[in-house]
Amino acid sequence: MQLRWSRMMPQLALAPAVAVTFVAFIGAIGWTAWLSLTRSRRVPEYEINWSEWTRQYERLFNDAGWAISLHNLVILGIGSALAIVFGFILAAMIDREWRGESFFRTVFLYPLAVSLIVTGAAWRWIFNPQLGLQNFLHGLGFTSVSFNWLASPETAMYAIILASIWQSSGFYMALMLSGLKSINTEIWSAARLDGVSFWRLYLEIIIPMMKFTFITCAILLSLGVIKAYDVIVAMTNGGPGNSTWVPAYFTINALSAKSNIGYASAAAITMLVITALIFLPLVLITTWQQRRANGGSR
Amino acid sequence: MTMVTQAAALEDATNASPGPRQPFFPRKKKRIPGRSIAILLFLTMCALFFCIPLYVVVVTSFKTMDQIREGAIFSLPHVWTLEAWDHAWNKACSGINCNGLKVGFWNSVLILCPSLILSIALSIITGYALALWNVRWANAFLFLLFICAFVPFQVIMYPLIRITAAIGIYGTLWGIAVVHAVLAMPVLTLIFRNYYKDIPQEIMRAAIIDSGSFWRIFIEIILPMSGNILIVVLILQITSIWNDYLIGVTFGGLGTQPMTVILANLITVSTGVVAYNDNMAAALLTAIPPLVIYFLVGKFFVQGITAGAIKG
Repeated sequence: MQLRWSRMMPQLALAPAVAVTFVAFIGAIGWTAWLSLTRSRRVPEYEINWSEWTRQYERLFNDAGWAISLHNLVILGIGSALAIVFGFILAAMIDREWRGESFFRTVFLYPLAVSLIVTGAAWRWIFNPQLGLQNFLHGLGFTSVSFNWLASPETAMYAIILASIWQSSGFYMALMLSGLKSINTEIWSAARLDGVSFWRLYLEIIIPMMKFTFITCAILLSLGVIKAYDVIVAMTNGGPGNSTWVPAYFTINALSAKSNIGYASAAAITMLVITALIFLPLVLITTWQQRRANGGSR
Repeated sequence: MTMVTQAAALEDATNASPGPRQPFFPRKKKRIPGRSIAILLFLTMCALFFCIPLYVVVVTSFKTMDQIREGAIFSLPHVWTLEAWDHAWNKACSGINCNGLKVGFWNSVLILCPSLILSIALSIITGYALALWNVRWANAFLFLLFICAFVPFQVIMYPLIRITAAIGIYGTLWGIAVVHAVLAMPVLTLIFRNYYKDIPQEIMRAAIIDSGSFWRIFIEIILPMSGNILIVVLILQITSIWNDYLIGVTFGGLGTQPMTVILANLITVSTGVVAYNDNMAAALLTAIPPLVIYFLVGKFFVQGITAGAIKG
């Protein structure tokens, strides 16, 4: 009896989690995938006409709004990657200099504690053309400066990138700092004895040693970029026009504003494919390298 | 702002005096403080950049609209007034309701409590069972959870709306709370499982031989050992649930929106005169709870977000 219970109970205890996984994740992905092949609009339809099952995807890839979304996704990804660079520079400097470490860490990380809606609100106010930073700079005499980025379709995306760099560099700094701290202190003294220059030390020794940290950061960054939604809503709400649409925004817009279930599903499934395309290679590289680093003991 | 400059000045002053290190190389003694000053100067400038939004938001929230119209965004308020804070808390409008952010605040609290209990209860037991009991399909299931942790919310959004509607919790506080718990489950389970897998098998064997059942071992041995990880997960969950916007706006009904949604409605409204001081006060009110947690238990906060992020 005792033995049977000890074998049954763990599996019973896992039942809720298994149910959640199969209903809310796998089932739901399947549901969305199915809907993306149907003609569903406001009301879901579950009949698939196999002669034209790709119609939602065909429409999607002919949609100028979706093209803008994908384009912005790439821009946002490249721009936000600066947060990793910036985070590494901050971490390296904090690590080199022992004074004020906790103070600087606290200051650089606080943006992460607040909601992206709050971040968006703050930056939206700074970018306000009449009363914000532009006005202040004009008052100082820099009348040629234009800081009205949010109003123009060409620059609105850069404003969003600036806000997301502000929000997330502290986080990459924290990850990099723990990576730097795990580096053996003997390397620093050995490098100093050998007279290795500052740049060579970082470019040829430290950064290669931290490649796992960098890959982790890259994975997290790309996931964050694909999921970026809140900051867009808070700063531009997709505008001006649809110049700051991203796939996450496009999908929800298709579902709520246009109430087109099939179309939104097709966009969502494409988002999932993009995630997998970025994420799987990076994870495979990491596990493969980790196994090799472990000396093939597995 | 002043605090930052003061601290910077203080640090510059300490740099000016020669450091006690490396007394045998008088040449280097001069070079190292020079580099330190450069580094500290750079870090201070970065710190100033990071503080600009907070400073601007704080001073704006204490200004009157008359002063804001003057357009000096960085100036201190002529008259410090709590008017905007009062207005944001009591009278701010979200759609047609003008009951202020306080409605959203209490909604957020009411979402937070059941959601924390649900998500932690569900994932701590799952993590415990997967890490310490011999379940044959544990590894396969863990891999599945790992994949689930990366699925963008949009992919499962519509089915979740339909499921919550079918259960009858769509548009209620419970709906938001349950969806939070469901979405957090994979990541939290992985965190708990990674924490428990380092518990030696001998302890578990001894406990089982002592006729400990699944639940008794959990309550008498495992739970008392989980203090640290519980704090980390608690902070991770409190901040992510409080700061969430997307789930709140998708699953919230008219009167059940969390604070972030009301704030977003407030700042994106484009009709009439925009009261920037109200908006900034509202933003601060929304930001205060997680910021308080951050400044009180910063170390656990960092652990929480890095653990949550690395695993998910």
